[in-house]
Amino acid sequence: MLIVGGYIVMGVFSEVQSTQTLSATSIWLIIVGSFLISTAIATLAVIGGIGGGVIFTPIMLGFTSLDSLVIRATGLVVAMFSGLISTGPFMKSKLADIKLVFYCGVPITFGALVGSVSAIYLHESLGEIGDGAVRLSLGILMLVVAWFLFTGGGKTEYPEPERIDSLSVKLGLNGSYWEESLGKVVHYQLTRSFAGAIIFIALGFIGGFFGLGGGAFLTATLNLVMMAPVKIAAACSGVLLAISNATAIWTYITYGALIAVFAAPWMLGQVVGGILGAHLLIRIQAGFVRKILIGILVISSIKLIVRGIEEAFGINIPIL
Amino acid sequence: MQTKKPKAPLAGLIYGEIVYWGVLVGSLIVIIGSVLAFMGDNFVPVSYWMTSVWKGETVAQAWQGATGALPNGHWYLSCLTTGDGLTAFGISLGVFSVAPALFLAGFALFKEKEWLYGSLAVFGGIIVMIGVLGLAPMPK
Repeated sequence: MLIVGGYIVMGVFSEVQSTQTLSATSIWLIIVGSFLISTAIATLAVIGGIGGGVIFTPIMLGFTSLDSLVIRATGLVVAMFSGLISTGPFMKSKLADIKLVFYCGVPITFGALVGSVSAIYLHESLGEIGDGAVRLSLGILMLVVAWFLFTGGGKTEYPEPERIDSLSVKLGLNGSYWEESLGKVVHYQLTRSFAGAIIFIALGFIGGFFGLGGGAFLTATLNLVMMAPVKIAAACSGVLLAISNATAIWTYITYGALIAVFAAPWMLGQVVGGILGAHLLIRIQAGFVRKILIGILVISSIKLIVRGIEEAFGINIPIL
Repeated sequence: MQTKKPKAPLAGLIYGEIVYWGVLVGSLIVIIGSVLAFMGDNFVPVSYWMTSVWKGETVAQAWQGATGALPNGHWYLSCLTTGDGLTAFGISLGVFSVAPALFLAGFALFKEKEWLYGSLAVFGGIIVMIGVLGLAPMPK
């Protein structure tokens, strides 16, 4: 319903003719519609532990004629504000592990800064073909992550690593949190911290480059690679997403790609939806979070693959 | 079975509170800015931005038509009394809250003798500030 609603609102306003000026009513409709869709996206994004940009950016890139830099800049706002506003509740509830956040925060911010600068440079030099090829590979990778989450079953909710590397032990990457649905404290030990850091550089780059946020990848990396419980992974990914996007967005802001009056309703919707999602996540069962995550990953993957093929090979695929 | 809720660390609370309130204040400014923008007091008219964006004009084309050139910097700081300038400032303030949050959380970790994680927080803050100050090389 969310996707369909987004398509309808964006589709209506996607064909503004060169001589046409939007009426005051149309502008208000766009603003109210943008706010409502953004609120729904943020609620789902926080619960699913992904960035709202993963939902926003493919819809806008696929169904509107807006400049891709404007979409990416606004996509970063959409991706980050739900994470920013939910940071407070996550920190208070200890769902966001401060050590894990700061350990992964450095590589992801570095990657995000490089990614956003690259996006500006490559916007003109690579063109649609290059953009399509990267988007296609991104879509395939997201499908792989969705498959891992799907086949992981209950093991991914509270993973128990078979082997803990010495770096993770030295870093003291372990913790505990109150699991509301079980009514007890859950302890966890993280592993593969070096591999995690390397992956986070790449994820930061992807997020900054595409304006997607890439929270789904963050959650999957924390859960499947570093073996964090899915709730910890979802909460930390929201906080990390906000940090990385808060780095990347400045490149777009100073370049002029963030059009404030266009982005404002999307940002406000993220704030409202972020608070709603954070409170729901604390009470909701971890398995339910994973199902939402898988669904959103699959939908986003299909969209990215379709757009990637269309751009890379010049083929028009009449679906979605 | 442990039934007592674990206490959140001070650095986490500091980080969370600064970002939370920074975003809320930023959001309030965005609301005020948006109201001003639709009352018509703007650096660039709202109808121009919305039409230009939905026409699919590139960033360069849109700014060319609005002010004659790309802003290449924090353009809103010179027009904070206008609706769109204040809206852009509100968004930027919300985003910026991450930087002081990282630094102060880092210092809280230093106080707890968590040197490694304190350093990582401060280093993350420095990377954010590189973005804020526009120190990364950009195309001319």
